[in-house]
Amino acid sequence: MSDERTGGRGRGGKKDDKAKGGERPRGGFFRRRRVCKFCADKIDYINYKDVRLLTPFIPERGKIQPRRISGTCAKHQRALQTAISRARQLALIPYVTD
Amino acid sequence: MSQNRQYELVYIVAPETGEQEIADLHTQVEQIVQRFHGTFEKTENWGRRKLAYEIGHHKEGVYVVETISGSGEMVKEIERRLRVADSIIRFLTVRVDEDQRVAQRRHDERKATQARRRTARGLPPEPQPGERRGDMDEEDDRMEGVEVSR
Repeated sequence: MSDERTGGRGRGGKKDDKAKGGERPRGGFFRRRRVCKFCADKIDYINYKDVRLLTPFIPERGKIQPRRISGTCAKHQRALQTAISRARQLALIPYVTD
Repeated sequence: MSQNRQYELVYIVAPETGEQEIADLHTQVEQIVQRFHGTFEKTENWGRRKLAYEIGHHKEGVYVVETISGSGEMVKEIERRLRVADSIIRFLTVRVDEDQRVAQRRHDERKATQARRRTARGLPPEPQPGERRGDMDEEDDRMEGVEVSR
């Protein structure tokens, strides 16, 4: 917020600075703000039997998507981790896919 | 029993097992629960499901989920039995009461803050249908669809 002032680049210059998440001030990269899915949807308990809930966090290879990509908060990532490993034991989700 | 904990027991039965044998396994579990003075809450049969990976030549399995409560000793005995049974290809026991308590508390807290904030703004404590922005968006979408079709 205060950055806008210290930047001193006039107000007409870049209006969409905030929309880019502040990471890349210029260049055409448009990054949407990542929100933790479980916080947004108010999911308190990540059920390991709910495959539909877990699959978006498992990309092609079968690994767990890191937080920096999915945007999940630390608390929910931890819960997600245990849910995924339980689902893997029950062969609901693969360990690896080649 | 002094300990009363809730567990979720999931086991996968080999696909070639008959209905009768699956029912027998279920009654076996139920008997153990009774012997340890636990309570049997519910059972769910998901039926035949494809496994995400092969477990000892099996590509499919019949999933059974049981919710039971009782002591740790009881779980120990059930697990021992399941390990011995040939038709069981995989099982998992998870203690659920603590997690559910935490989830319930979070849910209640959220409800309470929502009600508090809403009353502070002079609104009824419960959100009314069609009031939230998400609902409005849905309505907008519907309207757009109408325009397109015209």
